Amino acid sequence: MDNTVVKIENLVKRYGQLIALDHLDLEIKEGEIFGLLGPNGSGKTTTINCLLSLLAFDKGNIKIFGREMTPVSYDIKKDIGIIMQNVAVFDELSVYENIDYFCGLYISDKAKRKQYVEEAIRFVGLEDFVKFYPKKLSGGLLRRLNIACGIAHKPKLIILDEPTVAVDPQSRNKILEGIEELNRNGATIIYTSHYMEEVEQICTRIAIMDKGRKIAEGSKDELKRMIRNTETVTIEIIGLSDDVLNEFAGLPHVYDTKYEDGKLSVFCSGGKHNLIRIMDVLRKNDLSFGRVYSELPTLNDVFLEITGKDLRDKED
Amino acid sequence: MFLHNLKYELLSSLRVKDILIWLILFPVALGTFFKIAFSNVYNETTKFDTIPVAVTDEAQDQTLRSVLDSLQEQEEPLLDVTYADKEEAEKMLRDKKVNGIITADGKLSLTVAESDLRSSILSSFVKEYNSRQQIIKDCIMRDPSKAQDVIASFSEETASLREIPLSSGNTDYMTDYFYNLLAMVALFGSITGLHITINNQADLSQLGARKCCSPTPKSISLAASLTGSYIVHSICMLFSVTFVRFGLQIDMGSRLGLVYLTALLAGILGVSLGFFVGSVGFLSTSVKIAVSTAVSLILCFLSGLMIANMKVRIESICPWFNRINPAAVITNSFYYLNVYDDLSKYGVCMITMAVTALVFDILGILLTRRKKYASL
Repeated sequence: MDNTVVKIENLVKRYGQLIALDHLDLEIKEGEIFGLLGPNGSGKTTTINCLLSLLAFDKGNIKIFGREMTPVSYDIKKDIGIIMQNVAVFDELSVYENIDYFCGLYISDKAKRKQYVEEAIRFVGLEDFVKFYPKKLSGGLLRRLNIACGIAHKPKLIILDEPTVAVDPQSRNKILEGIEELNRNGATIIYTSHYMEEVEQICTRIAIMDKGRKIAEGSKDELKRMIRNTETVTIEIIGLSDDVLNEFAGLPHVYDTKYEDGKLSVFCSGGKHNLIRIMDVLRKNDLSFGRVYSELPTLNDVFLEITGKDLRDKED
Repeated sequence: MFLHNLKYELLSSLRVKDILIWLILFPVALGTFFKIAFSNVYNETTKFDTIPVAVTDEAQDQTLRSVLDSLQEQEEPLLDVTYADKEEAEKMLRDKKVNGIITADGKLSLTVAESDLRSSILSSFVKEYNSRQQIIKDCIMRDPSKAQDVIASFSEETASLREIPLSSGNTDYMTDYFYNLLAMVALFGSITGLHITINNQADLSQLGARKCCSPTPKSISLAASLTGSYIVHSICMLFSVTFVRFGLQIDMGSRLGLVYLTALLAGILGVSLGFFVGSVGFLSTSVKIAVSTAVSLILCFLSGLMIANMKVRIESICPWFNRINPAAVITNSFYYLNVYDDLSKYGVCMITMAVTALVFDILGILLTRRKKYASL
């Protein structure tokens, strides 16, 4: 039985000369937490907007729950929960009223709706703020309200578009834990972010996007296996000579070195005991050094190796 | 679904402070200002009624005296005549006891201390008297037998120029300002109407985008938003009419029920206008708000909100515009209702408002429903 929830085929979206989505293909299975990872402007939100049939596209096909998605696909929309990148609530309605309003767009039965709204309030931890108006809420609480409005009707597919932007660490953790719980309760999740740690933490499968194209897809381990780097050893050291630097570069499994601002980075590909061999070189040359640490590759390394640039914007 | 949307549309609208300020407090402030300003004008007008004038008539011209006497004997006398010699008259003028001196010396001449409305009225009287006197003299010299006919024709002419009231209604042009004030409140509903599209279109607001993702058909969402806005704006219109009629004591005629009905329809027209402007796809939100506000104010200006006879000027230049200008149609409705016993002209205005509102609504719904956007 086909358990595909979302299928995007050959999706092309142009804004004049700019190609926002370049022949994008995605397939999201039931029960996944699917991460769309990419820098700002990579096409994540455009993909979501096309998926929701808000945005007209030039070419391609989008199916949700096996049916073609259109602006009037109300039977599909009733099973989708959407948490927009920017908070979309009424300033003039209280927390409870906002959640009740959005839940009411999906659920007609009053008693059932009341129960769902109360569950959503408990789920996001806004019990103490039900009578508050959005303007009185902090950024993190506002995001939680936004999420409650999106999930109160218990959708089968939940789309979260950068839900943790400008959120304090406490609220961020609460949100991420909540997403995992929603998934455990049976919802399929699409999660877009340019925070690689979040995507690594919660997503079961990830598509990395850049300039409207999907440049890699797989689980986080699969993605990391796609690149040469398996370990990066960093040493704080002052006055390193070119001879010693060449000695590091000549070690087995070392494919690159970088010495910048008193920090030596040794990039290794495979192999064991890389750190021990590096320490041996330091000892042999009687070099004084500060901190030494070893890092496993991140999704940023994947992005860096594929595109030649950092995943995160400078300001992030 | 409709009632759920309507409930929250009403709740959110009634909590918007801008509505309280622009649709209730602003008309109250402007109406009060009009009332104070026009009260002064009315007082000034009363002073114009009778003009004190000194007459030096050493020859004791009986014709002149009978004319002057007739002007003093009217219900609202135009002149308060004091016969005096030249020196005495000049002293009265210097002491500002009279506004002018009419000197009868074969022909009438006028001396005034300053140029104002009263001196203009006196000047007109003197010119008219001299002109008619000359006509009669010429007639007597050429054909004395026609003199009586000429004098009689003057009397008929005077009779034909006498004001004949068309109705028992209030024709005071100052009332037009209050009609225009109500038209302005009605058209300010366009801002409310504009927010219907802003809150329902994905390319204009996050809220609009969020609503578009829900399984509630846009037609239901729009219908609920329109109904809610009509209700809220109707409350504002009813309040405004009540304030103008009973707070400011403006005579709006005896058919108050129809006045309220007109106000309700005018409010609906205003909301529909904004809904239509908001639906025009190629404008940004800020441009739409600017256009909506500017259009409302310009239409009210052209209907006479700032200049009393503007509508008359428009009527002489392009009369068709007064038939379609919503502000003019609204003010005309109030005017016709007050002034004419016959309701046919009023009915035409009401039908115009209803049809225009319906056209705006239909166009607005057609432009916004079932839509994917080129960009968000």
